[in-house]
Amino acid sequence: MSLLEFSGVARRFPLRRSLADRLARRPAAALHAVRGVDLAVEKGEILGIVGESGCGKSTLARIGVGLQPANAGEVRFEGAPLAGPDPRGRIQMVFQDPYSSLDPRMTIGAQLLEVVGHYRPGLSAAERKAAVASVLQAVSLPAEIAARFPHALSGGQRQRVSIARALCPEPEVLVADEPVSALDASVQAQIINLLRRLNRERGLTIVFISHDMNVVRYLCDRVAVMYLGEIVELNDSARLFAAPAHPYTRALIAAVPDLRAPAAGGAPIRGEVPDPFAVIPGCRFAPRCPLADTACAAVQALHPVPPAGLVRCCKA
Amino acid sequence: MSLLSIRDLRTEFTTPAGIVRAVDGVGFDVAPGEIFGIVGESGCGKSATCRSILRLFGGAPARVAGGQILLDGVGDLAAMPERAMARVRGRDVAFIFQDPLTALNPTMRIGRQIAEVIVRHRKIGRAEARAAALDLLRDVQVTSPERRLDAYPHELSGGLRQRVVIAMALALSPRLIIADEPTTALDVTVQDQILRLLRARRDSAGTAIILITHDLGVVSQVCDRVAVMYAGRIVETGPVREVLDRPAHPYTRALIAALPGQAARDADLTPIEGSPPGLIAPPPGCRFAPRCRLARPDCALGAPPALRARTPGHLDACILSEVPDVLA
Repeated sequence: MSLLEFSGVARRFPLRRSLADRLARRPAAALHAVRGVDLAVEKGEILGIVGESGCGKSTLARIGVGLQPANAGEVRFEGAPLAGPDPRGRIQMVFQDPYSSLDPRMTIGAQLLEVVGHYRPGLSAAERKAAVASVLQAVSLPAEIAARFPHALSGGQRQRVSIARALCPEPEVLVADEPVSALDASVQAQIINLLRRLNRERGLTIVFISHDMNVVRYLCDRVAVMYLGEIVELNDSARLFAAPAHPYTRALIAAVPDLRAPAAGGAPIRGEVPDPFAVIPGCRFAPRCPLADTACAAVQALHPVPPAGLVRCCKA
Repeated sequence: MSLLSIRDLRTEFTTPAGIVRAVDGVGFDVAPGEIFGIVGESGCGKSATCRSILRLFGGAPARVAGGQILLDGVGDLAAMPERAMARVRGRDVAFIFQDPLTALNPTMRIGRQIAEVIVRHRKIGRAEARAAALDLLRDVQVTSPERRLDAYPHELSGGLRQRVVIAMALALSPRLIIADEPTTALDVTVQDQILRLLRARRDSAGTAIILITHDLGVVSQVCDRVAVMYAGRIVETGPVREVLDRPAHPYTRALIAALPGQAARDADLTPIEGSPPGLIAPPPGCRFAPRCRLARPDCALGAPPALRARTPGHLDACILSEVPDVLA
C-alpha cells in the first residue's frame, strides 16, 4: 500500500459567467487545473513533480494536503480517504515564499509553539518548549532564533523556519511547493541538503514540486512530469533524465541552460503552454510537438515504459 | 575600441539606516557586438550597475556618486544632464526589464506603444510608425503580428509580452541593449526562445548586449564575456568559458559548486555559509573573506583587492597567489 495516493483527482475552477452568458443560458467556462491524476507516493521516497507554470502541479499539491477539495477522484492516506486537512497533521506543506508564509507579528518561537500546541495538546508547557527546540535543531537553526521576528531573518533562515513549523506535528509526508525557487543558489543548496537529510535520517517522505530540472534531477528518487493538468511521464529520476520518453520531457530537459557547454544548435520547442481554457482534443502537447501527426488527435492513455515508468504518448 | 567603458563607478542609495554603497568601484568594457554578462546573487549590485548607465532608478533615492560611463561617440553618461540623457535612452542604449507586464502600459494597445518609441525620437507619421511597429513585431517572431498590433498587454502570454518589450528596445536600432534578468519570469522553454532571439539580433545587427542574470547556465549559453559581482564589486571577469570552466576567485568557485547540476546524487551540495555583508559599512579587505574557506588574516585588511590578470583577459580580485581548487 502506498503512503499517499491520488486516484482520478481532478480540479476545475469555474469562471464567473457574464450577464450575457446567463441570459443565453450558456454554461460557465471552467479552467481544468488538474484532469484525472493517478499518482502513488511511496513511503520514504522523494517524489518530484515538475512542469511549467499552469501545469497544475501546485493545485495537485494543495489537494494532497487538503487545502483545496478535488472535484472528482480521491486522495487516500495509508489506504483511508482524506477529506480536508488531516486532523493529526501527518501531511504538512512548505510554501515557496518564506516572506509571506510566516506571521510578521509573532516571534519564531511563538509561531512554532502554537503549531505544537494545536497538534499535540497533551504536552505540558515544558514538553512543548522542548519540541520547539528539537524542530529548530532538526533544521540546523540556533535556539536563540526562537526569540526573533521573521523580518530579522535571512531568506534561507525563514525557509528553515517554515520547514521547522511543518515538522512540529511530526508529519509523515512533507509537500514542498517550490521551496527553493525564491532563494539564491548558495542558500538553495543549504535547503536542499536539509530536505535530503530529513528524508534519509528521519525517513520523511517528500513530495517536491519544482520547475527546476537540475534540482529535481539531483534531489528526487522518482519524477512525475505534468503538462496542462495531466501527468505525461512518470519514472525513476535517473531513467527519466537519461532516457526521457515523452517529447515534452525531452524539450524541458533540452531547454535547461548548460553551465558546462555553450548553446547547442538544435531547434527550440515552439510556442508556449496554451491557455488552460483552450479545448485541445487528443494529446494536449500535440500543437507544440515536433512528432505530432494524425494519431495524436486521439485521447492518449498512460502506457508503461519498462521496467517501472509510464508515458502518455503514442510515439513513445 | 570599446562601445562602452565604465570606470570606477560608484552608486549610492540613501536609506534611513545610512548610505548603501550598492556599486563600489566597478569598471568594465563592452565591445561593439559583444554579449557581456553580469552575474551575481541578490543584492550584489548587478542591477544597480546597469541602471546607473541610463540613470533608471525608478524613483529610488539613488545617485551615481562617482566614476565615468563613457559611451563611444556620445561622451560621459555619468556627467550628462537629464535632458541629454533622455535622448540617449532608447536611441543609443535601450533597456529591457525583468517583468514585461510592468514595463508595458496596460491601457495602451501594443502597436501604439511601440510606435510611441519611434515617434518620440524621429519625425515620422502615424501610419509610418504603425508600419514600423509591425515590422518590429515580425523581427521578434511574434505570431500573427497584424492581429497583435491592436491587442492589449493582458491579452498576451508572458513570452509574447517579453517579445513586445524587446521589439520596443529594438525600435530605434540602439547600439547597446541592457537586459536586466529578461527571462527570469519566464518558463524554461520560453526562456530558451528569448535567449536565442537576443543572440540572433546580435548576430544579424551587431547590437551589443549587457545581460544581467543570477543564472550561470544562462551566461554559459549566450555570453561572450562575463563579470561576477559580489557585494558591490566585480570579483572576477573574463571570457565566459575561461570563467566558468576555470574559475579563479573562491566566490565564483563556491557559486558553481553550490549548484545541483554539478553534483553527484550521493554527495551533499556545498552551500556558501553565512550571508553577504551589509553595504552601509562593508568589512575591510576582501568582502567575501568572512565566508571564504580559504581566507587568511591578511585577506580582511585594507582596501578591497583590485582585479588583476592571472592569464591575459581573465582577471580576478583574490590576493592569494595560488587559489587551491575547492571543486577538485
